[in-house]
Amino acid sequence: MNRNEFRSEMIRSELEDIVGQHFVSVDESDKLVYSTDWSWMPQMWLDRGQPLPTPDYIVHPDSAEQIAEIMDIANKYRIPVVPWGGGSGTQGGALPLFGGILLDTKRMDKIIEIDEVSLKVTAQAGINGEQLEWALHEKGLMLPHYAAASRCATLGGYLAPRGTGTISTKYGKAEDMVLNMQIVLPTGEIIRTAPVPQHAAGPDWPRLFLGAEGTFGVITEATMRLDYLPEARLMRAVLFTDLSKALEAGRLIMTRRLHPFVIRLYDPESTRSQVKKVLGLDYEGAYMVMGFDGDPDIAALEEQKALAICTGLGGQDVGRAPGEAWWEHRYDFYYPPLSLHLPWMYGTTETVTTYDKIEPLYWAVKRAVEEGFPEWDIKFIAHFSHWFHWGVMCYSRFIIEEPPADAQEALQLHNRVWQAAMQAVIDNGGMINEHHGIGLKLGRYMRQQYGDAWPFMLRLKKMIDPNGIMNPGKVGFGF
Amino acid sequence: MPLENAVLTTDNCRYCLMCRHVCPVGHVTRLETLTPHGWGLLISSKQRGLIDWTDSAVDKLYTCADCGTCQSHCVTDQPLPSAIAEARAEVAELGLAPANLYSLNEAISRWGNPYAESEPDAVTGTGEVALFVGDDARYLWPDGLKAALTLLRAVGMDPVLIGAGRNSGYLPSSLGFPETARRLARANLDDLQASQATTLLTLNPGDTYAFRKLYSERLGIDFPANVAIKEVTTLLAEHLGAGTLTLRRAGGGPPHAYVDPAHTVRVADRDAAPRQLLAAVMPAPAVELFWRRERSHPAGSTSLRFANPMIAEHLTYARLGDARESGAQLLFCEDAGTLSALSSKAPRFGLTIRGLYELLAEQLV
Ligand SMILES: Cc1cc2nc3c(=O)[nH]c(=O)nc-3n(C[C@H](O)[C@H](O)[C@H](O)COP(=O)(O)OP(=O)(O)OC[C@H]3O[C@@H](n4cnc5c(N)ncnc54)[C@H](O)[C@@H]3O)c2cc1C
Ligand code: SF4
Ligand code: SF4
Repeated sequence: MNRNEFRSEMIRSELEDIVGQHFVSVDESDKLVYSTDWSWMPQMWLDRGQPLPTPDYIVHPDSAEQIAEIMDIANKYRIPVVPWGGGSGTQGGALPLFGGILLDTKRMDKIIEIDEVSLKVTAQAGINGEQLEWALHEKGLMLPHYAAASRCATLGGYLAPRGTGTISTKYGKAEDMVLNMQIVLPTGEIIRTAPVPQHAAGPDWPRLFLGAEGTFGVITEATMRLDYLPEARLMRAVLFTDLSKALEAGRLIMTRRLHPFVIRLYDPESTRSQVKKVLGLDYEGAYMVMGFDGDPDIAALEEQKALAICTGLGGQDVGRAPGEAWWEHRYDFYYPPLSLHLPWMYGTTETVTTYDKIEPLYWAVKRAVEEGFPEWDIKFIAHFSHWFHWGVMCYSRFIIEEPPADAQEALQLHNRVWQAAMQAVIDNGGMINEHHGIGLKLGRYMRQQYGDAWPFMLRLKKMIDPNGIMNPGKVGFGF
Repeated sequence: MPLENAVLTTDNCRYCLMCRHVCPVGHVTRLETLTPHGWGLLISSKQRGLIDWTDSAVDKLYTCADCGTCQSHCVTDQPLPSAIAEARAEVAELGLAPANLYSLNEAISRWGNPYAESEPDAVTGTGEVALFVGDDARYLWPDGLKAALTLLRAVGMDPVLIGAGRNSGYLPSSLGFPETARRLARANLDDLQASQATTLLTLNPGDTYAFRKLYSERLGIDFPANVAIKEVTTLLAEHLGAGTLTLRRAGGGPPHAYVDPAHTVRVADRDAAPRQLLAAVMPAPAVELFWRRERSHPAGSTSLRFANPMIAEHLTYARLGDARESGAQLLFCEDAGTLSALSSKAPRFGLTIRGLYELLAEQLV
């Protein structure tokens, strides 16, 4: 037995002592499956028959205490710990780039308490989103983070990359729903944040863990605010010939403080392709879906006001049915073969900015992608789906249906398209991401995004994770 | 199913996570490999030369319960369980399947069932209605069959029994032995033809699924178009609604629940009937389990009990755990396989298991 094998067996046995033999795997087929999350890059390599870096140990702890002990081992042997929830992240955030311990949180899936008075739920972070939702529905409640990923993501995975769900326009991002969290720090300390987030007892440090994507520790439990299941959900679709007018309608609806739970505005290219393919609706122009929920009278009144804004700007009310079709089939877009799939090349270059900048930003990214790569018959599609009082998120995607067959060439092209899109985003005042997170893919843009603040962020990382064990290579933090 | 489709399916499923949350095996193991996406990725990786069918990879391949929950939740209806069965067939052909399965296949091939060295019963008589008995009802829970026949007689039916002691073909198909499955399927259809029936009754959704879908989709065998397939619970619920079946209400008892049988998710609109029947005789409403109806999970009664008995046991524990958490103390089901799996472990959960058909037969007026 050589030194590495000896060390490896030591680590394995120590991990088994913590979680039990059944919950540590070094099996080759398990390693293969955990070598990719939902991001394009690793999937592309595997699709082309190229093996990927794998974790050394796949570990399934069932408590914060066990994770704390795992951190001790990782610090002692200086090996990475990569949190893994549902592995549905699109940015390579859960990839075990440097091997080490892949920490699958799915055994930590208990609902600890549902409080029907204050409307909150406390659950372990590895619980699946849809299963949590089913349990809440039994009590007439919902966690209004309705991400398309709810079926595949965990509660921890909602929070770690600051996810946004389809009904965020009224209910907020996942991070807005957090009341408090339990976190295991890279040093092995188990800490709890204050019971409620809105107070004046010091700075808002718990938010550091939202968006850290596992680089600052492991979220093991969260208390989330809930809502009653709405009595009514009114859906409506409006068709605009002019995207600019549609964006203005959205802006007016939001700034006049109407409360749509969703506004989803597809650009003309998306309307022609995606909406037609998945929903079977054959429209020219920009298809906008609006939804109002809650008390039926109030929802109807708000819908009427919003509709007046839309028609005043030239929008054509196409009725409830096409809106309801979207609501009914809103997740169908993600089922293969309807979804994006290999061997295609694709990337979601989504961004967010204020209303004054959104239109130039959209056109700049579109131009950068479409005009930068004409030889690849690149498609650019976008929709605007998470609206705030101050701005809106643009969910843009590029697709190349016949990318280079050679894996390295394909990766280079992928990087070049991303570079063009992200540069256009940054130059036009956008954020490099709104809800998928940074992961591996966008780490390289963090310095540019944050400028003078970036060294401060690097120092924070060093302070929280002195040995750099937590999810190395992600969020731009390196190893 | 032609191999080409299996490749398409696993290529679709390999990176898709949209049904993982309903996979019962994924739910008890928490291991990504043992989920629809995991199996898709394993099979597609084998096709790309990234893995070999080592013992451990084969073991993983044989841990899918073939319960159909993934496909029933798939918007694009990908036949992943059939693709997994197809991959198992390839592995079995190469001599790489778990050793015990080859002898099991021989036994099924010879006797038509995995339980007894005994020929299936011959069909006697003819009639408009036949009842497929199968192997589980014959060997694992014969009282349920007796009670079902009593109930059918009470509504004026005396079906010709077919396939008594013979598996539908699901079991060998699921374990990667499609030829054996085809042989059993043909024998069952021969019985059906001999009975001259135009309605085939089934005792559980697993058999309904086998006749309605598995024969044509997996085995390439057409079920006769002129024969209607109906589950006994559906038929009885219709009679209950029409007033041609009268049942007495039972006396008080502990909180109870209905356990949806394995393969429920594979048969549309079948879950209301057994609940209606139960509600007609029980003094209080049933509590509902978390994993129920269109998201119901099987007990360890599918092909998994032969392919991976340990994980199958965990499925049974999970059903019993779900029941205990719901507050139920008494569980009903009509499916022989499910009843047998549940009752073997129920005492340690402090639960009592009862056959639904037996309960209903006792309450006949
Ligand atoms: C089909 C599909 C649709 C999607 N739709 C949406 C959508 O509508 N909205 C949206 O926001 N996102 C969406 N996503 C992206 C992604 O699914 C989400 O970001 C999701 O919330 C990730 O959750 P997960 O549990 O799968 O996390 P993973 O992919 O396992 O992990 C994501 C990152 O978080 C870290 N992490 C995971 N758990 C923890 C923890 N407990 N503590 C600390 N760090 C942790 C990981 O290390 C990794 O860096 C979609 C993805 C897919 C595949
Ligand atoms: S069966 Fe459907 S939902 Fe499940 S993994 Fe395959 S494509 Fe996805
Ligand atoms: S058939 Fe059942 S066990 Fe197999 S992948 Fe589908 S849901 Fe999971």
